Amino acid sequence: MDLKAFEQRIESGGRLSADEALQLYRHAPTYWLGRMADGVRRRKHPDGLVTYIIDRNVNYTNVCVARCNFCAFYREVGHGEGYVLGFDEIYRKIAETRALGGEQLLLQGGHNPDLPLAWYEDLFRGVKQRFPDFKLHALSPPEVLHISRTSKLPVPEVISRLIAAGLDSVPGGGAEILVDRVRKLLNCYAKASADEWLDVMRHAHQAGLRTTATMMYGTVETDEERLQHMLRLRDLQDETGGFTAFITWSYQPEHTERGGVEATGIDYLRTLAIARLVLDNFDNLQASWVTQGGKVGQLSLAFGANDMGSVMIEENVVRAAGAVYCMDEVEIVRNAEDAGFVAKRRNMHYEILGDPFFREHQVPRTLELSTAREAGDTSVPAELVNYPARTAAGKRQRSQPPASPVA
Amino acid sequence: MINIAIADRARANEALTAAELDELASADILSLGMLADEVRRARVGDAVTFVRVIDPTEAAGATVPGEIRLAVLPATLVEAITAVEQASATAGGRRLSGFSLAAIIDRNWGDLAEVLGQLKRAGLDALTEAPLDLLTEAEAALQACQNAGLAVQCLSVQKPDAGVRTDMLMRARALAAKFPWLTTIAPLSREQSVAVPTTGYDDVRAVALARLALPSLPTVQVDWAQYGPKLAQVALTFGANDLDRVSITDDESLGRRRTSLEDVTRNITAAGFQPRERSSQA
Repeated sequence: MDLKAFEQRIESGGRLSADEALQLYRHAPTYWLGRMADGVRRRKHPDGLVTYIIDRNVNYTNVCVARCNFCAFYREVGHGEGYVLGFDEIYRKIAETRALGGEQLLLQGGHNPDLPLAWYEDLFRGVKQRFPDFKLHALSPPEVLHISRTSKLPVPEVISRLIAAGLDSVPGGGAEILVDRVRKLLNCYAKASADEWLDVMRHAHQAGLRTTATMMYGTVETDEERLQHMLRLRDLQDETGGFTAFITWSYQPEHTERGGVEATGIDYLRTLAIARLVLDNFDNLQASWVTQGGKVGQLSLAFGANDMGSVMIEENVVRAAGAVYCMDEVEIVRNAEDAGFVAKRRNMHYEILGDPFFREHQVPRTLELSTAREAGDTSVPAELVNYPARTAAGKRQRSQPPASPVA
Repeated sequence: MINIAIADRARANEALTAAELDELASADILSLGMLADEVRRARVGDAVTFVRVIDPTEAAGATVPGEIRLAVLPATLVEAITAVEQASATAGGRRLSGFSLAAIIDRNWGDLAEVLGQLKRAGLDALTEAPLDLLTEAEAALQACQNAGLAVQCLSVQKPDAGVRTDMLMRARALAAKFPWLTTIAPLSREQSVAVPTTGYDDVRAVALARLALPSLPTVQVDWAQYGPKLAQVALTFGANDLDRVSITDDESLGRRRTSLEDVTRNITAAGFQPRERSSQA
């Protein structure tokens, strides 16, 4: 392998083919990959900034019919631990988020068959009425597809109605590995095939929304399939230019049906670095401190990442699979500055909003991320009775007198 | 980038000055890591040793190799001797280590060499560590260990303070020159603040500088249990070559491949090194 020739290609902005990327991913020394990725990051972000967003990662329901075998978060319909957050609970979370300088919810959830499109529309409208400037980065492609299927409306129409109700952007969740062989083995092909995932993103971009893209690796995929995933994203980005960022993380195996082991820290840094080299048309790569921890999260900044992701405030999905890391704004900024960067707050469009919020406001330290609900809270939101349930369990639940929502 | 002259001196196993170490500390993290990795491979090859550490209460039923370790120093010397004797009885031929040299000095139990001698005679093979930042008279304390015939498994750092790191490394080098039986430095601090932990850059930089500053100490150690698989694995590529405190507890509910032994060997191999379990001092 002629690394010098690759260096010249990469430094001159040349594009890597699938075969070349595979060769580098498999055989290039880790430090070499890091240096190349760092060089590309410097060229794309010569200002020395590392950005982050203050938002809250809210999961509106854990009830899901998809049954992905890598997920430890979901509960089946009718399960005693299944929940749907009430509108008032979500509004309260938004108010808390704003107090910490947040301006967005990352709102995702299970594929709950008892939540019709109208529920999402009413929620979004309710948020916008109460918090007009607050952004909704909501509903990953498989959720949009799920709503499309349950409402029997085409994806573009679902997206259009969600935008009318207040949707601002689409998170790139549910991508896993965009190769159908892998998706079938992970039991997530039915929720969205690779083409369907990409097609929802294409429609979202065509509707004027910006989205992110993700990759969860470390299950059953081959090295080639990880790169195939990246190349499919690169192709769509060439076509639409709608992706703002790429985020990759390793599969978290604890408490999942699939089990197995987690990919190592070196694997993460190599994967991040090759993504920076392959995804030459993506401006931003996030560090996944929530799966790798703050230390490797910070080291990601030397391996191609230019963004520390989100303060999160709350997290449920990764925690369910065993990862319990926490970085509040103070920690994110300290880590970025310690690595020699200038830390700036951004929005979902990667527009700079300003200096760290905590330097201008009194903000309490957060040493542990919140969860969707307190343990044992099984309350059912009162407004659910206004929406028709599809399942027998859902119908039964809604025929009972509503429990008081959490104050 | 790295100063070429300093890098060449490090490659030649020369003793770098404090000013040179400070300059290396300000180099970009990848260049520093590459140099430390290169020097480490030249000095000690591509093996990574690790040790499973067994609590004395688990020793009787444990069949795995490893080291019995007493973690907490009792309040009195009599209790400490008793704890060592009891642990020694269950050691089954395995090495018995325990206690921090600084903690023993803190107890003020009398003449240090005599105290250490009593612990040695009770069955203790080695002290777990000599924390550089807690020992005001480190040379005298290590001399007492030598006089008592009690090994010290590693020079360590208790509190995270990058401001005194170079000074600490210079002291470690002087002690290693005086006591050639010292083999190991554990450069990552034992204490971590929950609110303000050391950063990843701090940690790998400390590991790399320890490798470059201490040519006479072949082993740069990271605590697997404290720092976790991800940071510990990355530290291996920044010059570390030994993992301490691998658990003997295998959680079978997670499957064979989730055991600590599997986990540690998988991480070492995936970092490009050869795993070697050890049962004695690194």
